[in-house]
Amino acid sequence: MLNLGLDVVTTAAILFIVSAGLLMVFGVMKIINFSHGAFLTTGGYASVIVAHAGLSWWWSVPCALAIGFLLGMAVERFIVRPLYARPLDAILATWGLGIIVGQIITLMFGRGVQMVASPVDGAIQLAGGQYSAYRLILVAVALLVALALGWLLNGTRLGLQTRAVIMNEALARGLGISSSRVRFMTFCIGAALASAAGCLITPLASVDPNMGVPWIVGAFMLVLVSGSSLVSLAVASLVLGGAQVLVSTFVNPVLGGLTIAVLAALLLRIRPEGFARG
Amino acid sequence: MADSASTLRLRAAAASSWKGPVLVGIVALAVLAVCSVALPTFLVNNLIRAFLYAAVALTVDLLWGYTGILTFGQSAFFGIGAYAAGLIFTHAGFSLPLAAAALAAGIGVAWVVSRAVGWLAFYHGASPLYASVVTLVLPIVLVQGIYSGGEFTGSSSGLSGFDSFDIPLEAWFFIAGALLVLLAVTAWMFVRSDAGRLLVAIRENEARCEYLGIDVSRYKARLMDTCAVIAAFAGFLFACVQMVVAPEYAGFVFGTELVIWVALGGRGSLIGPIVGAISIDVGSAYLSGNLPYIWTLLVGVAFVTVIVAMPRGLAPLVAAAARQALPRRRRAAPVPVSFAVAQPRDGGGAGNAGPALSVRDVRKHFGSLKVLDGISFDAHAGELLSIIGPNGAGKSTLMRCIADGAERSGGTVEIGGKGIRTLAPYDCVALGIGRKFQTATVFESLSVAEALRIARYRIAPPSRWKRETTLELPQPALDVLRLTGLDRIPERECRYLSHGQKQALELAMVLALEPRTVLLDEPTAGLTKQERTQIGDIFVTLTSRYRMCLLLVEHDLEFVQQISSRIVVLHQGRIVMDGGVDEVVNSELVRAVYAGETHAAANHTEGDA
Repeated sequence: MLNLGLDVVTTAAILFIVSAGLLMVFGVMKIINFSHGAFLTTGGYASVIVAHAGLSWWWSVPCALAIGFLLGMAVERFIVRPLYARPLDAILATWGLGIIVGQIITLMFGRGVQMVASPVDGAIQLAGGQYSAYRLILVAVALLVALALGWLLNGTRLGLQTRAVIMNEALARGLGISSSRVRFMTFCIGAALASAAGCLITPLASVDPNMGVPWIVGAFMLVLVSGSSLVSLAVASLVLGGAQVLVSTFVNPVLGGLTIAVLAALLLRIRPEGFARG
Repeated sequence: MADSASTLRLRAAAASSWKGPVLVGIVALAVLAVCSVALPTFLVNNLIRAFLYAAVALTVDLLWGYTGILTFGQSAFFGIGAYAAGLIFTHAGFSLPLAAAALAAGIGVAWVVSRAVGWLAFYHGASPLYASVVTLVLPIVLVQGIYSGGEFTGSSSGLSGFDSFDIPLEAWFFIAGALLVLLAVTAWMFVRSDAGRLLVAIRENEARCEYLGIDVSRYKARLMDTCAVIAAFAGFLFACVQMVVAPEYAGFVFGTELVIWVALGGRGSLIGPIVGAISIDVGSAYLSGNLPYIWTLLVGVAFVTVIVAMPRGLAPLVAAAARQALPRRRRAAPVPVSFAVAQPRDGGGAGNAGPALSVRDVRKHFGSLKVLDGISFDAHAGELLSIIGPNGAGKSTLMRCIADGAERSGGTVEIGGKGIRTLAPYDCVALGIGRKFQTATVFESLSVAEALRIARYRIAPPSRWKRETTLELPQPALDVLRLTGLDRIPERECRYLSHGQKQALELAMVLALEPRTVLLDEPTAGLTKQERTQIGDIFVTLTSRYRMCLLLVEHDLEFVQQISSRIVVLHQGRIVMDGGVDEVVNSELVRAVYAGETHAAANHTEGDA
């Protein structure tokens, strides 16, 4: 029972970490960034590079953030910026970017699966049971990400401008806010977050050129039901992630893998705003 | 009397427009027959697969390129057709009746699934993104279903080693090619027909289509059903030829590949996706062995470049180059097409004594913000009722509440004596209402005549196979065209019209619906003085000669004064005055409201009418 509860919480935490970057981009730009999976993969390979360099695993987090941010700069400038007026095309172009990144990584690192040593070994004794220590750490990381993003949005000048752009872009521009700068920064931060998330999930999953793909659809659905609110995303991660754990445990793991996508699609049909404003 | 005057000549594709496509189709079949024996076996083998992929790509093009529904789910229907064959041939064996049963099962299941997808994805007010989401979830669910089917579905390795039709490769080549040719020719005739222009109209302006009385959601769903059945048929043939089925053929990645082929070849052109699908698929067969990852990388780079820099794909580029290189040919001589007067339909509304429009206690609120608060008034045939009031008074909201049953929060609206309940805009149109939007909304890439034909879609469904040489329009619509000179440029694309011409065209489109009540939201915004006078005269004619009821939202008091028969003043969501033109225009109240003074004055005279 305790294990199940912990599974729900840690799954929700992982989903939140993985989706946060996508949410930032969707909230501000109203664009679905399908290269999110590619950024996750990039982050995963950042930890491979760090391991090759003989550094401690923990170095891979700042390294992934930096790589993601730099890559995001280029992608925003050359691919996303021309497509603001065509959101459906932006989905396609970013998906295409995912293909490109996947192939480049394959050419550089080969097709095979890379293993990265987990930074924290073993399990923690909890009320008579055992639980993976690393998954518990991810809960703390998710809280940290939420706090950092909350501070960024509510405690900084950029955050104020960003919120203004989310609410009413035309008005924000009229007030002298450079919405293209806000978008640029948002995309870069979103990309950096995705990359960091990719690196954070490596101890749980193997690293391969397509490691990001399975995460995209789940993250995408979570973001669609959350609108542009971090709180909604947390709720959505907990509810849909919880449903996924329950279905996987009690019904069948294959159905569990579908839970988020199917529930989110039905939810959006009944209530197009999803978890937002509720 | 008006019949003779309204006959006009205009360019149109030949009435016998089926001749071209059919001729091309016959030539293509002949080429196929030659190729089936002349080409090397390896290429023939690959082309069979490529032809079937191209057939599915064609359905993606119809859905996405023409109609604007970005779909990732056509792979799922292909997979359903393929698995229907694979499952039945594996578990029940192969025979002709079983093959027929498998085909029927594949098509039937695809149709049922498509109905479910259509119900989910297409409803009044659905966002285009949501439809894409549903088509994205579909193949994912299907593939997981196949995985969990264990031995029955062959799980991740699929099914193979089943028997199939015993016919030579060359015959398959011809069958697959013939399917593609047949499909392409049919699609060609359809998209060029009068009815086919609706696909483009929906892509360009869905809201306008709904307010022209067209149930867009239903239309999209039917289109998806058709495309699903076609994809399932291609999938069935695929399984029969390859004698292997695997989850990848039903998966989301294959769905995105179809979109990539269409995008590269040229969405919204039929030949582009066919060439795109065939060349990339055959190219992969030859090159992915030598350049394992580079080939996919190159396709990815090309895809992103095309999406960003050449949204219409490579087909228009090639077409333009060909036009440059080839000696200029004469276009087929234009066939005369005439505008004619449509027989007035017997609506029975004109003689009725009751009001054309009756609004009772209509309310609209967003949360606690009341935008409309107990609006009641009647409007009769032959009346030109203007609604005035400062910005934010709720005028446009009132228009929306009359034309869309789902908009208002309370109260009743009756059009010609019938309540609109919660009917969608296209059903309100059927009750006899027409709405012109505040900003002129036309279909940018349709011609004037095509746009008007879309407006007649509900009353006179156009042909699916050809272009008619006459377009029947009701007299008021013809009057508008003639007065504004639009009748002389029926072939001009709407995007090249001036602002005033667009306004006039939209008005003509609304009048083509033969409405008895017309809602006009600031129809003179941005018009020149001359155009304004002209359009004012038209409105007066519509009410006096054709006994229509016009509801006009306007800011320009002088204009309103000249043409109205009655004026309603709206202020902060309430009717503060309802009366004759002079009475309203000269009242202290109106001056107070317009000067933005206290609404004490407004409340003071409330219910004055």
